[in-house]
Amino acid sequence: MKKKRIVSYIAAVILLAAVIAGYSYYKGQTEKRQLEEAKKNEITGVEDLPGRKIGVQMGTTGDTYAKDYEGDESGTSVERFNKGTDAVQALKVGKIDCVIIDILTAEAFVEKNKELKILEEEFTNEDYAICVDKSNTELKEKINGALQELREDGTLQQISDYYTGAEEVKGKNPYRMMQDVKRDNGTLSMATNAEFPPYEYFDKGEIVGADVDMMQAVCDRLGMTLEIQNMEFDAIITAVESGKADVGAAGMTVTEDRLKSIDFTDSYTNSKQVIIVKDFALSAKKQSLRESLYDNFIKDNRYEYLLKGFGNTLLITLFAVLIGILLGLLIALVRTGYDRNGSMPVLNLLCRIYLTVVRGTPAVVQLLIIYYVILTSVHNKILVAVIAFGLNSAAYVAEVIRSGIMSVDIGQFEAGRSLGLNYHQTMVSIIIPQAVKNILPALCNEFIVLLKETSISGYIGLMDLTKGGDIIRSITYEAYVPLYAVALIYLVTVMLLSAGVNCLEKRLRKSER
Amino acid sequence: MDELIEVRDLYKSFGNHKVLKGLNIKVSKGEVIAVIGPSGCGKSTFLRSLNLLERPTSGKIFFEGTDITDESVDINKVREKMGMVFQQFNLFPNMTVRENIMLAPVKCGKMKAEEAAVKAEELLARIGLLDKAGAYPSQLSGGQKQRIAIIRALAMNPDVMLFDEPTSALDPEMVGEVLELMRELAAEGMTMIVVTHEMGFAREVASRILFVNDGGIQEDNDPKELFANPKTPRLKEFLAKVL
Ligand SMILES: Nc1ncnc2c1ncn2[C@@H]1O[C@H](COP(=O)(O)OP(=O)(O)OP(=O)(O)O)[C@@H](O)[C@H]1O
Ligand SMILES: [Mg+2]
Repeated sequence: MKKKRIVSYIAAVILLAAVIAGYSYYKGQTEKRQLEEAKKNEITGVEDLPGRKIGVQMGTTGDTYAKDYEGDESGTSVERFNKGTDAVQALKVGKIDCVIIDILTAEAFVEKNKELKILEEEFTNEDYAICVDKSNTELKEKINGALQELREDGTLQQISDYYTGAEEVKGKNPYRMMQDVKRDNGTLSMATNAEFPPYEYFDKGEIVGADVDMMQAVCDRLGMTLEIQNMEFDAIITAVESGKADVGAAGMTVTEDRLKSIDFTDSYTNSKQVIIVKDFALSAKKQSLRESLYDNFIKDNRYEYLLKGFGNTLLITLFAVLIGILLGLLIALVRTGYDRNGSMPVLNLLCRIYLTVVRGTPAVVQLLIIYYVILTSVHNKILVAVIAFGLNSAAYVAEVIRSGIMSVDIGQFEAGRSLGLNYHQTMVSIIIPQAVKNILPALCNEFIVLLKETSISGYIGLMDLTKGGDIIRSITYEAYVPLYAVALIYLVTVMLLSAGVNCLEKRLRKSER
Repeated sequence: MDELIEVRDLYKSFGNHKVLKGLNIKVSKGEVIAVIGPSGCGKSTFLRSLNLLERPTSGKIFFEGTDITDESVDINKVREKMGMVFQQFNLFPNMTVRENIMLAPVKCGKMKAEEAAVKAEELLARIGLLDKAGAYPSQLSGGQKQRIAIIRALAMNPDVMLFDEPTSALDPEMVGEVLELMRELAAEGMTMIVVTHEMGFAREVASRILFVNDGGIQEDNDPKELFANPKTPRLKEFLAKVL
């Protein structure tokens, strides 16, 4: 029996590997074809944009400008990506024709992707500023003061030289956080989107970049401690508005639209938006799998993103499961209590509303609402995720448990009550143990679903397994290896869990015979 | 004789369906009462009303002098004194025989675990099933299950035992052992109310027979009289069918 199981697992894994290999080959072939196709419609300047597929990072200045082309009579389409990296990847595989993005970011991308190039003709020229809540003019004035000083003493220049300067100054003289400053003016929490090199990006697990240094310098002037929160780009303004963060600094341009909801400081640097296209002159050299594995996991200990992310995924799942079971059981008891005795009608109604709302809305939306609207004062993202997923899973668990309780013969309940046990004792000693046995498979499925569901944690900038893989992806500009690795880790975890559940089920069944 | 149970004007409807329509009865200590009647006439409903497994629509039920339909009465305390045996046994399948018997005495705070274990063994020895103490219900025959269900109720030392067709779900060859145990209980003076189709048992063991029909008790007599001289045509008809 055991051996057969192992053999079938191995067969499954081999099959999977074969499918992946076959697919990679197929993909290579289609890529070649797409390349030829794309070559025919090469973009050489701004005037070539109409009628093309333009990629942008959602909510960035590039997005704003590309909007002007969208839906014109020549059929231009704009594809919005959560991250610049995703847009660049899409460009590489020929899904889009060009990417409009900030020049420094573009340079960083092109440096690592030899098959891309930046068009000489620039798209726009723009100023970057820090956003603050409209009501917070005091903070705005303070930051403006600090920026003024930094501009005058050359610090801003030093930072921009270090990240984006000419060959002879670039990477030479980094801004160093001042150590001898009294930081008794509290913390300054900065919302950013660390997918935007060289302004903000992950390096060895830390968020670094020109904006980070600039904000650090501002904090040094103001005697404050800098705290960085990573999130999606289009969440930054909301975070600042809702007080989740004090300021937003992420290469943001002042636009009319943004000014409606948020205020900006003076500009601290300026930038150009440029167009990235494929450089067909250079045929891309493909990395070998070994190089790719090294690049994605070993170099700079990048596997730690996955490890730490996986830890968070497990942590969130575990505690969410606990909340789910406890709360789900309570709800199920209220519901069955009402069904059987008509007790607690008000509470029952509340439970029903809760179930309807939770099961009728996507988990992502619930997570966002809990993070941005309800638990605004909670800064521990893991805690927020645990609560959100716990509340979510409770609704599903409640119905599973309820069906389990209903599936236990009513005679069991009557026997317990007729012996003098009260409702509670009957439920706990007689009904629930039998119900649990009936629903164990369904319950465990629920938790496997939950484990996978936590992959949306990235929406609140929490580094779970999926997000960990995403971060690697944004560093190496490679989709394959990190995504497959993430998928594999989920798969193996789920398989292990399922095997564990099978064992448990068998043991339980044995006890009845 | 001491009065144990009195039912006054008991009405019970399920939705629009009126099952019991003003049922009255008094039961004294030590009586063994058989309840007979056509299927669907409300025998089970009557029996289950006595320990409030069914809440009466109206009417009063006195047990040992207290009106148990009163909201302020702790029904769990009352049920401790009223054992009930079901047609389908309703043993707890996830517990051993011993645990089945010990559960209620311990949970209701009547006995400590050790006491309850001793009591369980005593009762099991009495019915000759001591060797099954560690077995699960699924390993037992129907007759064994029902006898264990009976002693499970007895473990609470009840003042009255309610039986709802205790032998109807049994294979014919197992009916005897269950009736035998019930006969013993009757002989020991246990007050019993037994809904049954076993006319032989009713005639032999019962001290009184109730014929339930049309939402009330139509005849209430000692077995000899009832079988020899049925007063209503409905009972005549019924007896003609079952005898
Ligand atoms: N929970 C319930 N909901 C609705 N109707 C019910 C319920 N319980 C019993 N009844 C109805 O009440 C009537 C009396 O049922 P009851 O079980 O008391 O009859 P009975 O005399 O015990 O019959 P049997 O000999 O078949 O056991 C039947 O018509 C039955 O369908
Ligand atoms: Mg019945």
